[in-house]
Amino acid sequence: MIPLENFLLLSAALFAIGFYGVLARRSAILILMSVELMLAAVSINLVAFAAYLDPEGLTGMIFAIFVITIAAAEVGLALGIVLRLYRERQTANVDAADELKW
Amino acid sequence: MGMEQAWLLPAIPVALFVVVALFGRFLPREGDWLVIAGMAATVVLGLLVILDFQGYFEGSAFAPAGENHYAFEWAAIADVLAIDFSTYVDSITVVMIAVVTVVALMVMVYSVGYMHGEARYGWYFALLSFFTAAMLLLVVSGNLLQLYLAWEAVGLASYLLIGFYWERQSAAEAAKKAFITTRVGDVGLLIGIILLWRASGTFEIQEIIALAQSGGFDETYLTVAMLFLFAGAAGKSAQFPLHVWLPDAMEGPTPVSALIHAATMVVAGVYLVARMLPVFDTVLVARDVVLYVGLLTALMAATMGLVASDIKRVLAYSTVSQLGFMFVALGAGSVTAAMFHLFTHAFFKSLLFLGSGSVIHATGRQHVEQLGGLWSKMPVTGWTFLVGGLALAGLAPLAGFWSKDEILYAALSEGGAFVYVTLAATAALTALYTTRLVLLTFFGAPRDSSAHAHAHESPRIMTLPLLVLATLSVVAGVVAFDGVGELLGFAGGIGYLVFTEKAHAFEFHPDIAGAATAASLLAVAAGLVYWRGAAERAARAQAWAPELHRMLVERYYMDHLYQAAVDRIVLGLAGIVAWVDDHIVNRTGVDGGAQGIGYAGLRLKFLQTGRIPNYALAMALGIVTLALVAFGAS
Amino acid sequence: MLRRLPLPSQFDRIIITGGLVAGVALAPLLLVLLVLLAVDEITAPEFVFWLVAAIVVGGALGTVLLPNIVYAALSLVATLLGVAGVYLLLGSEFLALAQVLIYGGGVVILLLFGLMLTNATDDPVVTDGSQKPFAAMVGLLLAGVIIAAAYDATWGGSELAATSLRAFGERLFGDFMVPFIIIAVLLDIALTGAYVNARRERAPAGDDQEASS
Repeated sequence: MIPLENFLLLSAALFAIGFYGVLARRSAILILMSVELMLAAVSINLVAFAAYLDPEGLTGMIFAIFVITIAAAEVGLALGIVLRLYRERQTANVDAADELKW
Repeated sequence: MGMEQAWLLPAIPVALFVVVALFGRFLPREGDWLVIAGMAATVVLGLLVILDFQGYFEGSAFAPAGENHYAFEWAAIADVLAIDFSTYVDSITVVMIAVVTVVALMVMVYSVGYMHGEARYGWYFALLSFFTAAMLLLVVSGNLLQLYLAWEAVGLASYLLIGFYWERQSAAEAAKKAFITTRVGDVGLLIGIILLWRASGTFEIQEIIALAQSGGFDETYLTVAMLFLFAGAAGKSAQFPLHVWLPDAMEGPTPVSALIHAATMVVAGVYLVARMLPVFDTVLVARDVVLYVGLLTALMAATMGLVASDIKRVLAYSTVSQLGFMFVALGAGSVTAAMFHLFTHAFFKSLLFLGSGSVIHATGRQHVEQLGGLWSKMPVTGWTFLVGGLALAGLAPLAGFWSKDEILYAALSEGGAFVYVTLAATAALTALYTTRLVLLTFFGAPRDSSAHAHAHESPRIMTLPLLVLATLSVVAGVVAFDGVGELLGFAGGIGYLVFTEKAHAFEFHPDIAGAATAASLLAVAAGLVYWRGAAERAARAQAWAPELHRMLVERYYMDHLYQAAVDRIVLGLAGIVAWVDDHIVNRTGVDGGAQGIGYAGLRLKFLQTGRIPNYALAMALGIVTLALVAFGAS
Repeated sequence: MLRRLPLPSQFDRIIITGGLVAGVALAPLLLVLLVLLAVDEITAPEFVFWLVAAIVVGGALGTVLLPNIVYAALSLVATLLGVAGVYLLLGSEFLALAQVLIYGGGVVILLLFGLMLTNATDDPVVTDGSQKPFAAMVGLLLAGVIIAAAYDATWGGSELAATSLRAFGERLFGDFMVPFIIIAVLLDIALTGAYVNARRERAPAGDDQEASS
């Protein structure tokens, strides 16, 4: 039998890797991909908890469905923003968007 | 209908104030008719209150005190503080209601003529309505806090009306002076109210009186509290040393002077002391202070009135002096005499002010050196002014005679010979300066021919109030007699009207009255002989005692003294405060802080890259730290 | 003639190379796991778990480390498919299916479109940000914290229960119907927003006429 901790370990590793990607990458597309990794990590967590701890309710799995849906929405929206950025700056590099310091 | 509806007395004018102030410009004639109609309704209502108070509707003699105290809760803070909004009608209130409503109505009617064509005509009437509301609220108040509210409201109305011609520098200055000077007294009043509340736990006047009479206060404490209270009264009623604002307040429109600075607001102090007199009776030191302050003021103001050349200023000094008379009566413990004099004085003094307004309206001059010879030109104004003047001088059988006689009697029986003699001398001075005023204004050769040529009698809307007030000035005194009062349906004369507890019939004292009348007649005769209507003789008086004359004209240098005090002390302190503000607060605190932050920003701004990944990293560090902290804590 | 031969295109080559690299990398692990399985050190599900975990983590590392964007994207596909395997292991076939359909079929394609539309230059290689070392440090710290927390806590059940698709469906469309609808609306709004954001503003009509005339 696979212990629950194994899934948590996997999820933590995936989450940290995605986190690193968000912080380290420069391309907006790659940052989006890293965010997908983090979301997947969270989904693994949710499903694992649902399967081990809540076999009657399955709430975690349902939330995983929601996460997948929202991830799809997020990607669509974010890509719109990236395209916009690209049109304004001719690059998808997030370092180009530094108007926070004026 | 009656005492229970006393709250309507202030409610009607204040509602009309709101209406006219906001919508007056859309109304025909800017809404003056609305204000006057409301005032007339208030007069009728006031009459109903008075009749109810006199037991007219029950057929019995008097409504006992306490049964006409109506209140609803206004504000309450747990068990600490409960303030009611209450009305309380007693004999003093009744006199005040009669005076305020009648004089206010007369002044409003008069103003229709006097203010005709002025700018801000509707605003003027709105203010008059507001003032009347505040004054009526003041006199029907059953508790001190509510009274204080109304007290400040009349102060505000007075400020606005004195500064009505605010385009004129002197008017704005005078308004400011009146407001600040009375504010000095008002602070005293507030301190007094708080002191009384602290010791008694209540603002209700009747409860405080009951507690004082049962000896519930520490005597020294109560003395201090009552002196603070009197400071407020002295400020409002222009008593020494806070009298300096009233003569300057004459910058306002003349009807305003008649209403506020002769008949109503300035007697608020007298009213307050009269209302609290049972408490003053338990601390005689404070009562003596009232007496001697009143005496000093009466004498000082009368001497200043002797040399003033502005017709309205003479009347202002006269008002200050007469208020001093009332305080002397109160200091002697006689509410009857004080309220009686307040009653009669309100009529003849507002008559004199309105008469002077009529003269100013006709000639455009208000210095007696430029007037004269108006008797034939303005017969109604002249005659009514003469009646008012004689009433002021205290000649029988006009109103002023009876009330002054009462005060002199109270002064003699309670204050002793010194007070009596001084007061009688002041009364003689009053007769003298009144004679001077009437002679210089109406008789002799006209000294400004152009003004004289254009002079004409005022329109009927202005002379009508003069005639009404002149009539009242003649007959107001005789209500003192029991028979007259009974004839009118009251239970008795002014003694009954004003003093319910130990109803004391008016007594005529031939010896005192005789002496006073003789002194006044003598003074009038001296004035007649001396001036004979010629202003040059006044100039000769100046030459006769230049130092004295100068001192009087300069108002005993009081204004200079205050100015110097303000210059030295206040400006000195202000300089120190300004230095602290500039160097410590501003340069070190504000500028220093700003520069420090600016420097820190200069050094730290490289942290702000504007790049989102950097911010995300910082956020991540924060999250990790939080997680570590939470992990460590568990 | 040569052109007619079904030679692999560049894209195909990438896939083939990637598969080879992944296979070569996974082979030792597979061998180790097989040995462990043979000596009964691990059970069959655990064998599958470790294999899948290796795919997931390896793909993820590829996603965040590879300099070539296209490689990174394909690597992401591997990860997402691995995650679908994890869902299967956890007994949720429906989720695994949805994961493959939505991520593999939708999200990754969207991302590739994004790549195509934004990388105008032929060179698909991008450099990483200057804060890479800090990012690595923070990532490691975070992983450490989460793993420590996961092992520190005591979890209740240790039995993996099979879930019936029927129960799952009843729960999703029964108790969670309202959130489901809300999610649907959200999706709609998000797509509308994406459209509004990404579309090119039309030039004003006046400019058009000037240009045409």
